[in-house]
Amino acid sequence: MSEKKYQPKIIVFACTWCGYPAATLAGVHKTKYPSNVRIVRVMCTGSVEPGIIMDAFESGTDGVMVVGCQLDNCHYLTGNKKAQERIDALKRLFDIVGLDSRRLRTEWLNASEGAKFVRSVNEFVEDVRALGPLEIERKKAKKARSKDQTLAAVKQLIEDTGAFDCVECGKCTTVCPVAKWDPEFAPRTIVLRSMEGIVDNIARDKDIWMCTTCEQCNAMCPYKVDYSGFIRGMREEASDLGAAPSCSQGGLIHATQRIMAKSGLKQKRLDWVKGDMKVAEKGDVFYFVGCLPHYDAIFYDRQDMKLLDIAESAVRIMNKAGVVPVVSNEEKCCGHDLNWIGDEDDFEKLMDRNLDLIRKSGAKTVVFTCPECYRTFNTDYQDLAGDLEFKFVHISDYVKELVDSGALKMEAGKKPGFTFSYHDSCRLGRHSGVYDSPRELAKAFSGAKFVEMENTKDKAICCAVSAWSNCNANAKRIQIERVMEAKKVGADRLLMFCPKCQIHFKCAVQDKVPVDPAMVNVKLEDFTVALAKLLELMPEEEKAKGNP
Amino acid sequence: MADPARTKEEERKGIAVYLCSCRNEIGRHVDLEAIAEGLKKDPRVVTVGVHEALCSNEGQEYLKDELRSKKFERVAVGACSPNIQGLIVSRALEEEGMNRYLFEQVNIREQCAWVHPEKKEATRKAKSLVKSAIARAEKLQPLEDIIIPIKDSTLIIGGGVSGMQAALDIAAAGYKVYLVERTDELGGRTYKLSMTFPTHNCGICCIQYCRECVFTPKIEDVLQDKNIEVMLNSEVEEMTGGFGARHVRIKTPKGPREVDVGTIIVATGSKTFDPKRIPELRYGHPNVISTTELEQILVAQREKGGGIRRPLDGKVPKTVNFIQCVGSRDKTKGNAHCSLVCCTYAIGQAREIKKINPDAAVYIHYIDLRGPYRGFEEFYNAAKEEGINFVRGRVSEVVVDKDKTYVRAADTDSDTLLNIDSDLIVLAVGQEPADGSDQIAKILHIQTDIDRFMKDINPMFPSEFRRGIYVAGTAQGPKGIRYSIEEAKSAAASAIDLMKKGKTKFPRIVAFVDEERCRGCGRCEKTCEYEAITVVPDPKRGVLVSRIDEIRCEGCGACAVACCNKAIKVNGYRLEQVEAMVTELSEEEVTSDE
Repeated sequence: MSEKKYQPKIIVFACTWCGYPAATLAGVHKTKYPSNVRIVRVMCTGSVEPGIIMDAFESGTDGVMVVGCQLDNCHYLTGNKKAQERIDALKRLFDIVGLDSRRLRTEWLNASEGAKFVRSVNEFVEDVRALGPLEIERKKAKKARSKDQTLAAVKQLIEDTGAFDCVECGKCTTVCPVAKWDPEFAPRTIVLRSMEGIVDNIARDKDIWMCTTCEQCNAMCPYKVDYSGFIRGMREEASDLGAAPSCSQGGLIHATQRIMAKSGLKQKRLDWVKGDMKVAEKGDVFYFVGCLPHYDAIFYDRQDMKLLDIAESAVRIMNKAGVVPVVSNEEKCCGHDLNWIGDEDDFEKLMDRNLDLIRKSGAKTVVFTCPECYRTFNTDYQDLAGDLEFKFVHISDYVKELVDSGALKMEAGKKPGFTFSYHDSCRLGRHSGVYDSPRELAKAFSGAKFVEMENTKDKAICCAVSAWSNCNANAKRIQIERVMEAKKVGADRLLMFCPKCQIHFKCAVQDKVPVDPAMVNVKLEDFTVALAKLLELMPEEEKAKGNP
Repeated sequence: MADPARTKEEERKGIAVYLCSCRNEIGRHVDLEAIAEGLKKDPRVVTVGVHEALCSNEGQEYLKDELRSKKFERVAVGACSPNIQGLIVSRALEEEGMNRYLFEQVNIREQCAWVHPEKKEATRKAKSLVKSAIARAEKLQPLEDIIIPIKDSTLIIGGGVSGMQAALDIAAAGYKVYLVERTDELGGRTYKLSMTFPTHNCGICCIQYCRECVFTPKIEDVLQDKNIEVMLNSEVEEMTGGFGARHVRIKTPKGPREVDVGTIIVATGSKTFDPKRIPELRYGHPNVISTTELEQILVAQREKGGGIRRPLDGKVPKTVNFIQCVGSRDKTKGNAHCSLVCCTYAIGQAREIKKINPDAAVYIHYIDLRGPYRGFEEFYNAAKEEGINFVRGRVSEVVVDKDKTYVRAADTDSDTLLNIDSDLIVLAVGQEPADGSDQIAKILHIQTDIDRFMKDINPMFPSEFRRGIYVAGTAQGPKGIRYSIEEAKSAAASAIDLMKKGKTKFPRIVAFVDEERCRGCGRCEKTCEYEAITVVPDPKRGVLVSRIDEIRCEGCGACAVACCNKAIKVNGYRLEQVEAMVTELSEEEVTSDE
């Protein structure tokens, strides 16, 4: 029997106006097509969340097709065009996960084109069949937990993080950026509730997801309670009880990261490496790029978000100092976000894969541009896997070393002519203690004036969102405040290392702001990229429009 | 005492599943009993029923009985298309008091029984679809319909024959009508015709161009109607407000005018194709004219007499060639569509020439003759009898040689090439959307078709409900006068019906904002095509939040995806509702050979 063939599982999102009726028409004409095609009706293809598409792949679908009205002919005027744009961007994200972009297809047709629907579905089924099964480990059903188990776990957590020592002084609340804008939020009360044994509502507790885990409270606490560690642990408990953070981006980012953890798909992560850049497959120095620079594909519609410039800049700076770093297609997400939403299982899988990769490369030093990756390797991996045989270095420290050793010359003294400030990202500053190198390097921007903001170093305000869990108006307020701080001290540029901070700040000041737009008119830029520009390794872009 | 009906509702729990055999159309290919048996074990499912035809009277009674006797809260149905009969099934349950927003139907007829002949496969798929319906039904939320009040006045855009007819009908029903016309006179294109099909007589409203008018001069009726306010040289600039209460700004010679209306009829009409776009037809040479220009010549001859004379030298043309489908039916040279009326009017004009000048040799070069109107065949036969030559074949070009013009054409019936020395060449130009119609479509959020004419919601039903906005006449596509009037009357009837009720119910499948999650970035506002979203300051919190006008919202969900923090959700299509369905479908094990 020919039916022994592998049957890929296909989900079709069909719009109410053309896609779905076309499928119905195919039925009326009794046109056969493979039975492994499942249709989900949506109002408009423009309402299909990329997160749901990723989810479908994660839960076992082999191919997703989006079927809507002809492109110039959307019932909702432009919904299908928006869908097409979004899907094109999503396919770029597929590369870093290793999903073949042929597993996602769009078809634009008329309600009367039942035959075209069937033709398209048949083609797609064959295409996906040729690609073979998508090997992603299935989600495991959550093991049921009793209240006692949760209670015990929380008790342990309270012990581990020193939360028992809390004297309810409330200092944490005074510095908490979330509490500043959300009067109902207080780090202390979350601890308090759990200490009183109130664990029934962990799964529904919004506060544990609102915390930015920026560790302002940790830094301030006289009894050294590890609040962010406590929150991380609580999130793990909550997710064991079936809670999931209500994510920004519709869960797209976490699903992407989980797929990386649960699959060994062939990734394409090095498209940014240009011909004149020197990189290696094996060597002493491994440059761990991280995923964030690739999130251009998610934030494709934001203005001047060119995160991959970070990776390019880093390699060009290293090259200039004579270092040829290892970069790898097989690099996985570091697991930072999954770790901070309490997905321990997948986090560990990612860790194992990454450490394995670095070992195979023969590297002794791993350099990071992303503060989150740096913290995750340096702190969390070593916590779990014990002391590792590699040295983990942040790019700021690394470049500083190169300069100190004379390998890299900062040929300053030319151009800049701007005033800038530096934003300490929480993962780099408070979490990892890297404060000095960035400031040392800032001095190299001679000609430009470096100014400190009011809240700096261990008092720096964070970008307000933890692991993409909730980025609401209060978060935006925090972000805007931070940018305003830079403006207040006269900076017209704000440099930072963390791509996530950059995404959040840029998002906050673009579009509508609840303050005078002039107060946030600050150019937000990645530090590594700015360095590369200073060294004339990256082109300075055309003069930004409207910047006074 | 609590309301007994309410306590009854509170007790309701769980999902009832009904599978329809569709008089064995589904039952033959899908083992419904096996699916039903399997679903009984599902803890979410309270009851499972298989019925012969849920949409029949008996089926509806059966569902009502079930709802009366059992305590389920939600319903998942496996039957035919939810877009069609699904509405009948959910209505039956609603009549018995169920909230129809707690109803989900999947299509196991067109998507299973009719397309997967292998019973095992069809059954397996049907089962997974029904399970996905259960997963979704579990996540649905009860909602109330939106009640929308409808203002009792109408805006009509376009004062051609369609717009005037609609205006007269609505005014006669006692409603205020604002009639906006962008030119300086009413009557539109019809007004300039010398005669119309099938009477071969003058147009319905010519009081100026033609003295032989036998119709009631409609323009006068419109101008004199007290319920109709005519605005000439005026254009619609902006529309705000939503279904039932639209606020429209009109640019008039006296300055901007703002009106509030409950319904709008779009009768912006069409324009003729510009033959200059096909250079080989040498339009611009005095011997080459369009059918609309010939109309002017015919009108002049009626008014002043003196026969038909060609523009070049005032001579009576002895040979006249009509070239059909100029700009129509050929995407490479104009439009892909057929303009429908050109065959008829060219024949009419040819007959007129022949009547005035019986010695003239008249040729009509056509691809196909299309006149899908009653009386056309007789009209065509009369033309043949009168000696008009019909030549099937395309004209390759018009050749100008000194003061002579030649038509190079093929006669495919006799398989010969022709080169006709022609005194006058008439180009039967096709129809295109009127200038400014793109703009109007944009302002009113009307979907346009690939040919840029405005699109019907359902091509089978003229004047289908479009939130109080209707399209009539050639704005919707090329058509004859009679058909334009029909559409105008039907649009007027729909508008009157809506205004007479004064309010209407509308499904609450619209977007809403979770203000706790909204960050006020305004990306939703930017993405909304219907201007339903505005970002406003929340002074209490010192932040911006998005507000959605649910009457304006069409429920497309574009904003929900654009929202980076997922603060916007669309009722009935919330992330978790769609996700539940997708996860259920994805997780099902598909084995290779069962």
